[in-house]
Amino acid sequence: MASHGLAIMLVSLALLVSLALQHSWGNPFWFFFSVAVILSTWFGRAGAGWLAVVGSTLAVMYYFTPPIHSLAVNPGDLPFFLTFVACEVGVTHLISWRRKSEDALRHARDELEIRVAERTSALKNANDAMVLQMAEQKRTEETLQATRTELARVARITTIGELTASIAHEVNQPLAAVVANADACVAWLSREQPDLVEARAAAERATQGATRASEVIARIRSLISKATPEKSRVQINQVVEQTAALAAGQASKNNVAIEFQLSPDVPNVLGDSIQLQQVVLNLIVNGIEAMNSVADRPRKLVIRTQPQSGGQIRVSVQDSGVGVTADVMGRLFEPFFTTRAKGMGMGLPISRSIIEAHGGKLWAESNGSGGAIFSFTLPSRDEPAA
Amino acid sequence: MKEVDPVVFVIDDDRMIREGLQSLIRSVGLRVETFASAQGFLAAKRPDAPACLVLDVRMPGLSGLDLQVKLGEAGAQIPIIFITGHGDIPMSVRAMKEGAHEFLTKPVRGQDLLDAIQKAIASDRELRKGRLELTEVRTRFDSLTPREKEVLDLVVAGLLNKQIADRLGMSELTVKTHRAHVMEKTQAESLAHLVRMSEKLKNSPRK
Repeated sequence: MASHGLAIMLVSLALLVSLALQHSWGNPFWFFFSVAVILSTWFGRAGAGWLAVVGSTLAVMYYFTPPIHSLAVNPGDLPFFLTFVACEVGVTHLISWRRKSEDALRHARDELEIRVAERTSALKNANDAMVLQMAEQKRTEETLQATRTELARVARITTIGELTASIAHEVNQPLAAVVANADACVAWLSREQPDLVEARAAAERATQGATRASEVIARIRSLISKATPEKSRVQINQVVEQTAALAAGQASKNNVAIEFQLSPDVPNVLGDSIQLQQVVLNLIVNGIEAMNSVADRPRKLVIRTQPQSGGQIRVSVQDSGVGVTADVMGRLFEPFFTTRAKGMGMGLPISRSIIEAHGGKLWAESNGSGGAIFSFTLPSRDEPAA
Repeated sequence: MKEVDPVVFVIDDDRMIREGLQSLIRSVGLRVETFASAQGFLAAKRPDAPACLVLDVRMPGLSGLDLQVKLGEAGAQIPIIFITGHGDIPMSVRAMKEGAHEFLTKPVRGQDLLDAIQKAIASDRELRKGRLELTEVRTRFDSLTPREKEVLDLVVAGLLNKQIADRLGMSELTVKTHRAHVMEKTQAESLAHLVRMSEKLKNSPRK
């Protein structure tokens, strides 16, 4: 409505100025109406423009075209008057069209700005969320890392603790025997009638206990000192035969027959023969003990050596014992895992680490006809032995 | 009462320890029986004599603590001296709760073990005496007739002869006769003695 007021005001102003100027100079100054129409259209849009056109036309008809003070127009002045009206209409039309397109442009620009602002804020939100998420993830990762470190520490301490406890038990047991027998010896000697036979027997048992304790310590020491292998060229068949000879006594005591299937074609390997002997002995003794409770079939231990593809050799020890259940199979090589009452649970893990230090593999599998097969491979470093 | 020789049972899976302990205990003149496993001990026939058990905690198969629980379930009250190589606190607490007599750590000093054995045997002797007396008293009380038992219950409850006669619908003279029989059969020296014996029987239900 303000724009219509503007149009009326501008037309009135143009009328006053035109009347004043005509009064002074006698010539009509119609062009002020054009200015009023232009300004109205420009500032007040199309509605105001058309109002200004109508107002101007009426004012010109009434005040400036003869007959004066009447809305009629003399036929002689009609072309001139119509030209004026046409010009007014044309100008209004053009300006309002121009104005409209400009508005549309501005509107489009504003809308674009709003949309850009919206997009920007959405993007910012997404960005903030991502930063938060990344911080969260970083924290989680740090916690995870800390937990992992702690776990590793605990595992290490536990391993050392268990190893210590195991060694302590192994040593303490014979020491307890020594103390009990020494005390008994003293007691027999302190009797009113000293019993020398009993005292001597007790003293001998004390000595046996002490020897056993020192053997345990020697065993542990040899485990530690053998940590770095001394490598030389080793004929594996020889190692197997020598080791089996060591276990022959135990085998015959347990009614176990050892059968050899040694391939003459196995190449030499580079390794520490003492350590490899230790591994083979461990597998043989395990096999013999696995057959302790077997009564319904022959107790047979088969030791095989075979050349493998890729220059590898393979040694396997097959027993006809109780076999290995699936869940025991999964834990066989875990330190301190044992199915034997007196076992330390260190034999297989140490054997595996020895074979791996030689670049080979040690594994267990079930023997189809009952029992288990323990095998290891070693890379050969030589041409087949002549 | 004629005293039977006490027996010490030694259960340890380690032969050398077993033999050492056996020799030590024999040296002070005690009878010893050794077992390599808890199962072996359970399977063996135990003499009827004051006894104690010297038991290794850590053994393959049935552990020392398992054996203690088994004996407890079977109602075999025999004092147990535990020997352990690694006497951790929860384990000793558990053993003591189950009534272990003593808990010694390896290596055991000979004198400590012998002292513990003497104490355990003495306590078993007392227990056995108590059990024996109880059986005797029970036999005596079992010899009462139903009528006498009724009279006994009311006497012990503190009723006078007259009241008992009213309650049971008999003459006071009959009550007196029953009462005299009760005192005689149970070998009670006084009313107080009779009450004590019947209390003891009530508190230890027969197995």
